[in-house]
Amino acid sequence: MQAEGYADAPLVWSREALLESGGYAEPLVANGVRCHGGFDADGRYRSPRTLHRGPAISAWQARLAREGTPLLDLDRRLMPPQYPNVAQAKLLLAHGVRDPVVRALTIISIVEGFGAIIRDVGVPDLRALLVEPVEGTALAHLAEGLFEAHARDESGWRDEGGHKQMWEAARDLAFERPKLPGDVLMRMMGRGGRGERGERLLPELDATAERLIVMMSRVLVVEIFAEGTFQWGIELLSDPELSAEPERAGALVRYVRADESPHVEYLRTALSELRGRTLRTVDGRTLPGRTAVDRVLHAMLRSLVRSRPEEQREDVRANLAEDMKVAANPAALLEAFDALDSVWTPPARTGFEPEPAATG
Amino acid sequence: MNRAARLRRTLRVARAAASLWCLYKLPAAWRRLRGLPERKGRELDPTHERAAKVVLACALDLRGVIIKTCQAVATRSDQFPPAFVDRLKQLHDAVPPKPFPVIREVVERELGKPLGAVFARFEETPLASASLAQVHGARLHDGREVAVKVQYPDIEEIVRTDIRNVRRACRVYERFDPQPLELLPLLDELVSHTALELDFQREADSADRVRRLFAGNPRVVVPEIHREFSTRRVLVMERVGGMKITDKAALVAAGLDPVDVVQDLMDVWVRMILAEGFFQADPHPGNLFVTPEGKLVLLDFGLSKELPEGFGLGLFELMFSMMTLNEAAMLRAFQELGFETKTGDSSTFLLIARRMMERSESGRFEGEFTEEMTGELFEAIRENPVVRVPTDFVLVGRAFGLLSGIAHTLGSRANVLQAMRGG
Repeated sequence: MQAEGYADAPLVWSREALLESGGYAEPLVANGVRCHGGFDADGRYRSPRTLHRGPAISAWQARLAREGTPLLDLDRRLMPPQYPNVAQAKLLLAHGVRDPVVRALTIISIVEGFGAIIRDVGVPDLRALLVEPVEGTALAHLAEGLFEAHARDESGWRDEGGHKQMWEAARDLAFERPKLPGDVLMRMMGRGGRGERGERLLPELDATAERLIVMMSRVLVVEIFAEGTFQWGIELLSDPELSAEPERAGALVRYVRADESPHVEYLRTALSELRGRTLRTVDGRTLPGRTAVDRVLHAMLRSLVRSRPEEQREDVRANLAEDMKVAANPAALLEAFDALDSVWTPPARTGFEPEPAATG
Repeated sequence: MNRAARLRRTLRVARAAASLWCLYKLPAAWRRLRGLPERKGRELDPTHERAAKVVLACALDLRGVIIKTCQAVATRSDQFPPAFVDRLKQLHDAVPPKPFPVIREVVERELGKPLGAVFARFEETPLASASLAQVHGARLHDGREVAVKVQYPDIEEIVRTDIRNVRRACRVYERFDPQPLELLPLLDELVSHTALELDFQREADSADRVRRLFAGNPRVVVPEIHREFSTRRVLVMERVGGMKITDKAALVAAGLDPVDVVQDLMDVWVRMILAEGFFQADPHPGNLFVTPEGKLVLLDFGLSKELPEGFGLGLFELMFSMMTLNEAAMLRAFQELGFETKTGDSSTFLLIARRMMERSESGRFEGEFTEEMTGELFEAIRENPVVRVPTDFVLVGRAFGLLSGIAHTLGSRANVLQAMRGG
């Protein structure tokens, strides 16, 4: 992250400062769409809204280290491989089967855009929720610029596109504005609706506090798991044999990846700050922050490790036979496609296994 | 329908048209004679109010297509003044029923049997009545409870006569008004919708399609159609009990959370419109019930609409850009959806987009596609008359407006962003 070396920066920032970008020598224009971020005088890409956000995150992380609270991290081996993987996607494209890849890129762009929903996450009164003080932490800045900066990065703001538009531009550059499959939204929304409502993970807490922890954990997991998606996108869209604009399309995904770094860092920081503190429960007792955060992360990772590969597979395979009809020999292509499937064995532990209950 | 009846309908429409002419044109001529400036904007509100009453009286008198026309006007807040929209809205659920003997005759003629040969019981008082048909409760001989939707007799001929009359009135109006509202396209749209609604076999097909779409969702119920007792003019369907969706007290008493009901409702319509591209275009409270277990019951698929290819994604982009405050993306979405300006100048869209942005400056939309939001959009469009709005967008906008109205009644918010994510 470009904020390294700012450990002595202030701990308290205004919302305006956290949203400030600074100047660019040249703006980023992706396939005709003005996007956020831009280039410095040396032609290096600079992420948006990081003029002070980067130093601020570094300072909060340095404070955590001084307090002896570890910065949490996820085991990258929990991240399922992309489906179709790069080899499979290249095989499909080489045989003129573009819909599964175009569909996947479109869904990625939409999912990125939905990151903006984080601006609507309610932040409860943290002074009332936490036993320990929160001044000068990432937690205290969630509603004061961090969530808003994140939202603007993902879906764009005013006259600038965000990651959603950057992924769309990368897709359109690489595949020359392809026709979008009509079932994209159906695939994304799932076919059966939301199903039955789930149990609460943190019933001891006020619902707003629970939603905050769940949402931050979910977004952190998605952001970290997205690393595989970025790599997939870069490899695929930068391939000159498959992509009409390999340099520009691949570069756009690299810029998105760079922009995501502050998101991962502030979420890791805020969740770690929570883990190092004590939460007040609705019945007047207390709950260690570590218990709350780990319970949510464990449940989420366990479920994602189980369901995500299946969901990705289902998204692709639902229409694969139909999509492959454009190929000369669909049956042989499907066989070759399956032979390239990734083998993945996730680790047995999430790293956030629950400890014995410890409410005070 | 005999010649005298046709003549009466024609004269009644002519009388209403003449009244409207006098209401608007005589004062304007008088002001011109006295050298006074023309009345504009809110100065015309009292005239609009009186004119809306004239139109409403004509609709309640003649029913049929006149009511359908008024219902269509009530959905076009982008074109018509609020006085018309508000006054004519009541025609969505306040149409007096036809007497039972008339209904009995239609059912017996359509089924080719006496009522008692098909139904063990048939309720003479209708459950609901609308512009083209009314619904009665009944029981089949095997004990199954059903709802029977019966088309009014002669309605097709009444529709033809009324459309002819309204079209004539529109042509006269357009010939004499230097800056006429574009009524004929609205009428064409109405003709096509009415033709769809008069075919109950199509309605049965639409109900089956929506039922299949939600086959995996245990919280959605679309009543089964008894095709063996249904014809083009009579529709017999499973009767599903439940509470009216806007009856908040009943929902709460049943242990249901209105917030969940509203979110389910929004999920269902977002899925139909954006993902399936086929939707029930009339989600007013009379067509929606909730079972004591919290299942959403969808009724009346007469006005179901197939959306053009790509419309769902275009609409998704427009809604998404509005809710994420992305003005540039909103502009692109307007154009992709087929919004047009007469001059080809897109600066009007920019004006509308900026206005939407200003609307959300203080409070974010937070995923809520509210009545205020659709109202703001349509008001912005009305105030920038160079914009042509795609018909499909109007239907969809109206559906979201109705859903937001239900959410408002239940004191809840309909989170479209959440629905678009698939929950």
